[in-house]
Amino acid sequence: MRAISSNSAKANINKRFTILLAVIVMGLAHIVVFKQYTKGILFALCHVAFFVFLPTIVNNFAGLITLGEPQPDLHILLRDNSLFLLMDGMLTIAFVALFVGVYVISVRNALKLQAEFDNTGRMPTTKGFFAELATGSFPIVALLPTVLLILFFVVVPLIFAASVAFTNYSSPHNIPPNNVIDWVGLDNFRFMFGGNALWAGALGRVIIWTLAWAALATFTCYVGGFFMAVVMNNAKMRIAPFFRAILILPYAVPGVISLMVWSNMLNGAFGVVNRTLIQLGIISTGIPWLTDVWLARFMTVAINLWVGFPYFMLLVTGTMTAISQDIYEAAKIDGASTFQTTRRITLPLVLYQTTPLIIMSFNHNINNFGAIFFLTGGGPTMPDSVTTSAGGTDILVSWIFNLTVNLQQFHYASVLAVMIFVAIAPFAIFNFMQTKSFKEGDV
Amino acid sequence: MAALQKLNAGIIVLFLTIISLIVIYPLLYVIASAFTPGNSIADMPIVPFTSGFTLDNFTHLFNNTNYPLWFMNTLQVAVATSIGTMFVASLGAYTFSRFRFAFKKTFMVSMLVLQVFPSFIGMIAIFVILFRFGLLDNLWGLVLVYLAGNTPFNTWLMKSYLDTIPRSMDEAARIDGASHLRTFLTIIMPMAKPIIIFLLITSFTGPWMDFILPQMVLRSPANHTLAMGLFSFITDRRNDFTTFAAGSIIIAVPFVVFFVATQKMLITSLGAGAVKE
Repeated sequence: MRAISSNSAKANINKRFTILLAVIVMGLAHIVVFKQYTKGILFALCHVAFFVFLPTIVNNFAGLITLGEPQPDLHILLRDNSLFLLMDGMLTIAFVALFVGVYVISVRNALKLQAEFDNTGRMPTTKGFFAELATGSFPIVALLPTVLLILFFVVVPLIFAASVAFTNYSSPHNIPPNNVIDWVGLDNFRFMFGGNALWAGALGRVIIWTLAWAALATFTCYVGGFFMAVVMNNAKMRIAPFFRAILILPYAVPGVISLMVWSNMLNGAFGVVNRTLIQLGIISTGIPWLTDVWLARFMTVAINLWVGFPYFMLLVTGTMTAISQDIYEAAKIDGASTFQTTRRITLPLVLYQTTPLIIMSFNHNINNFGAIFFLTGGGPTMPDSVTTSAGGTDILVSWIFNLTVNLQQFHYASVLAVMIFVAIAPFAIFNFMQTKSFKEGDV
Repeated sequence: MAALQKLNAGIIVLFLTIISLIVIYPLLYVIASAFTPGNSIADMPIVPFTSGFTLDNFTHLFNNTNYPLWFMNTLQVAVATSIGTMFVASLGAYTFSRFRFAFKKTFMVSMLVLQVFPSFIGMIAIFVILFRFGLLDNLWGLVLVYLAGNTPFNTWLMKSYLDTIPRSMDEAARIDGASHLRTFLTIIMPMAKPIIIFLLITSFTGPWMDFILPQMVLRSPANHTLAMGLFSFITDRRNDFTTFAAGSIIIAVPFVVFFVATQKMLITSLGAGAVKE
């Protein structure tokens, strides 16, 4: 009895000691207690690196807060570059987050080793460093590329873009490296949402059109694709494969090429569509396909249908093949027509299966820069276009492009980026909650 | 009844013919333009193939423009992106599918939410980051951005596929003493071949026609990609539609042949993807 209690007391002290070492400097517990030198030294080096870079880290945080001071006397290359200060601050946060991650991993690992010791009473076997990498630490090593890529090229850019919305980064007075930029709080949001009638008007127009465009584009492509899939499915003739090969073409040809070709063909002055119609005597003057606001909007949806229906046609065909033929047989015996079986069997089943992809397609269309930019370039111009650079068919993303590239109004562009985030995130999360893996709790 | 069926079939053929003509019209027009003398779209006849035949546009494309260079650049980016995506996504998917670890759910949900944002929302930031890492105006910088953009969605796609492979397969290998890495490479990867091929193809085709990111990241003409080059033929200042058409069909033909040849597989993959979502 006594032996057991003294034994557990010993293990207790040992445990506290381990935790203490592990928390003070990471890797220390690995070296001192468990004699796992390679791993311990690597962890310790991480910690040393953190202390070495601590002044830089503090400095970068300070830079993130001040975004630099105006230094008109210095040479342009020596002045504080607010953009770099902002980015370095973000990157520093990312690195510190990584460090905290490694820290948590090291402490957890030390605790795991300790638990192993407590259970078996023996020192955990030290595998070779590389053997450990291929087995025990596999999840960490395997996810490292994913974590680094997503952190530096997806998360940091998105946070950076969002934070620019709270600065005055814009032409002509606040463009680094000539001048510094400053934090301005919610000024840009106030400006866009009513502070300035012209900009607020443009914003309202673009948001409504973006949502309308995404809904129409998704709906038309889905209905068109569904319809063609049903027709092809019922067309049991010898030349059906020939038609199928033709109908798949818009999906196969790179979309940018198709859009640029359509844009040229629909050109009001020299486009081949107008010239053909004039030659045929159907019209006497060219139809302003892409220069009349409502007609241009209609054409973006129409051409997008041309580009996008084959995707849904393939998708619906694929889903339809998975529906059991027995159901159709049964319906046929009961005397159902083709229209009835399509309406009552195919449509609900396919719709149920493809709902997540419809939502994905809606999100894709909200961001469908190419479909607008390569067809109309965002045009035609509206009364406010000179100031705001938002044309009649511009959606949020293409307006962001104009604001950044043409007007250099980065702060307003970032407000729009935040808007897109707000608009899309609910759909993405809803879509996720519909997935099988989420519903079954097995993520 | 037979007559009615014939009429029905006739209507379907008529309908399909009309739709096919609408689909074919612009494509036929590009092909015709590529072989027609002249430059601007205004010179093109309204009925395709009626004003002469020439290969000048193709010789012009290869002799007087940087087309071969753009092609090689894009090929490099596409191959690197495709292989990179395969490795990163399959490693990640295997981990998510087979391991339990802290923050796994949070991680997966955030990846799903992040994947809906186009990379160019953060384009100013990507520009600055690449500049900070010394990767601006560098094809590898572009590859990294594509890779990061592809990773979330493809990891999810692959994970749902791996979930369908019975765990007993890899457990058997583990009992025989194979490491996780070995199990992954010799058991899982071969079994996931269909999804890996699908993933390789979809990430290979992406970079060919992306315009906005290269336009922003690549500055020197030596690094330009195909989409940038082709777009430069038909800007407002220049209207060299025939050269554009020639360059476009060289790209489009392999794509079309490939898609038409593999449409059966595409239908199954897309259908399977939908069912598993």
